[in-house]
Amino acid sequence: MTELAIQGPQEDRQISLVQDAFARLAANKLAVLGMILVAVLFIIAAFGPWLTPYDFLDQDLMARNQPPSWNHWFGTDDLGRDILSRVIYGARTAVVVAFSTVFFSLIIGLFIGSIGGYFGGKVDAFVVWLIDITMSVPSLLVVIVINVSLKPSMVNWMDAKFMETGNEFYRNTIWVDFILVFGSMALIKWPKAARIIRGQIMSVRNKNYVLAAEALGVSTPNIIRRYVIPNSIGPVIVYISAALGEAMVLESSFSFLGVGVRPPIPSWGNMISDGLRVWQLYPHVLAAPAAALAVVTIAFSFLGDGLNDALNPRQWK
Amino acid sequence: MSAAEQHKRTEKILEVSNLHTRFKVRDGYLYAVNGVSFSLDKGEMLGVVGESGCGKSITMMSLIRLLPPAAEVTEGTVLLDGQDISQASSSEINAIRGAKVGMIFQDPMTSLNPFMKIGDQLIEGIRYHKKLTRVAALEKAAKYLELVGISNPDHRLTEYPHQLSGGMRQRVMIAMALIGEPDLVICDEPSTALDVTIQAQIVELVKELREKLNMSIIWITHDLSLLAGMVDRIMVMYGGQVVEEAVTDELYRAPRHPYTIGLLKSIPSLKTEAGSRLPSIGGAPPNLFAEPSGCPFAPRCSFRTDRCTREVPPLTPLQAGESDPLHRVACWVDVQQQGAAQ
Repeated sequence: MTELAIQGPQEDRQISLVQDAFARLAANKLAVLGMILVAVLFIIAAFGPWLTPYDFLDQDLMARNQPPSWNHWFGTDDLGRDILSRVIYGARTAVVVAFSTVFFSLIIGLFIGSIGGYFGGKVDAFVVWLIDITMSVPSLLVVIVINVSLKPSMVNWMDAKFMETGNEFYRNTIWVDFILVFGSMALIKWPKAARIIRGQIMSVRNKNYVLAAEALGVSTPNIIRRYVIPNSIGPVIVYISAALGEAMVLESSFSFLGVGVRPPIPSWGNMISDGLRVWQLYPHVLAAPAAALAVVTIAFSFLGDGLNDALNPRQWK
Repeated sequence: MSAAEQHKRTEKILEVSNLHTRFKVRDGYLYAVNGVSFSLDKGEMLGVVGESGCGKSITMMSLIRLLPPAAEVTEGTVLLDGQDISQASSSEINAIRGAKVGMIFQDPMTSLNPFMKIGDQLIEGIRYHKKLTRVAALEKAAKYLELVGISNPDHRLTEYPHQLSGGMRQRVMIAMALIGEPDLVICDEPSTALDVTIQAQIVELVKELREKLNMSIIWITHDLSLLAGMVDRIMVMYGGQVVEEAVTDELYRAPRHPYTIGLLKSIPSLKTEAGSRLPSIGGAPPNLFAEPSGCPFAPRCSFRTDRCTREVPPLTPLQAGESDPLHRVACWVDVQQQGAAQ
């Protein structure tokens, strides 16, 4: 009786690896800060229209270039538009562009990278060649070429369609901007995803536990699903976090240069570009979007670093 | 002993003849296994010994075609329990792996999937082979964990590999290999990565399980001294070939191949004088980038003759009248006579 009492039921102290990784992430203060800021960004982006005090297009020509006040927290720009509302809408643009870009670049990268990593040999050599070629082309050049060559013809085609059919769908050409921005950014970003995935699959394929599973007669689809994917996903998650931040900066720099999202749709990049012309007189016009971009970029890099430490067992101490 | 008993005793679980495996490399092939033939009786334990890269692991992996993509088995037949599996399709091979042939690997630290609970990994094989439900399979897994000496098995099933020590993980690997109730278990240096006390425990465990479950075992190692008192028969490999094969005691007592003799001399013993140098075999392991044209050991052999570099010596039984009728050696020179003459 006493012995039984001493032993007792074994306390269930098991923790899953996901919980373990999360605990490591939660212990990292900067990563938590990054996580909170990213969460705030997503909430703002998701509920933007309900949060903004004004519409992002509303012009109040009597209140142009106002400094920050109770009515306009971040002030107004040269057309009297509320900058806070525009920054909030800019967050939407940034999140939509970043997610779509990362999504499409991951799909392309996953496909090409896993083919290279899985088959190896000549197929892999071709994949590596393709990655190197793509990475060697200056990304700005690709985006400018795509914009200059494709955008006018697409817009013309849409105008013609609108004239022909009168269908409202063809009237709004704003989404052409978005598609070209996602598309060209995915085209320049996929090689990085492909490289990471290729390397992961190659290394996991040669792991002893894959061999041990093969020795047990586990089928190939099951090995891929239960052994290869869970063991290769860590760096991909880290990549996603870092790539989201990078994509936002990239989108801003393209919009800044006038090849990204076009006004009047607010993007932090085109707002910075606008603000730059008048910043000596009205610094707040530049400060608000620039600060938003800086904070979000830092938040993503904190989160990415934290995820890298939490998910990479080699860095566990 | 009745005739039936006699037949049962000599029934073969495994018969391998003239196995060749090669690897495709940058310019040409690496000939890893060159005409290996051996057999294994039911319930027998065979030790396979040789230096790194001599083809001992690749030979055994070739049996169930557990080879890297660059390797191919070019020749040879493998009879597993009388059935030829050398031409089996990959799904047929998959059904044999784990169910008829179990494998225990060298490095328990990296042979378990860090993302799966011990229980789920243990039942991985039997769920496919035996079509058991998860609950029934887990019950069986707990039984096998207990069998390999893991206390509190029900709790261990819910743990992840990183929560277990190296010795425990090797026990889990053994349970994993045995749970499919295979007739043949191939142990690829299962104790090498462990420290000496745990190594002794694992060796004892395998010996004990062999008695209990009546399995046939192939134990691959580079440590000849480990095999004494453990295996029934020893096969010595060199350069992708079997150079000598004999019952354990006979091999220790009367080795016939110069390589085996060298190996035995290089085992430190208590009689070795303090401060004296341990004998070693001079030279480097053979280059396997060409098909062998002579005895692979010839360049390092002190008994070398002209014939040794021209013709590959076949593995032939010793003359009648020897104490072990199964003692076979691949050498052109009668080393014992030569040794006496020298």
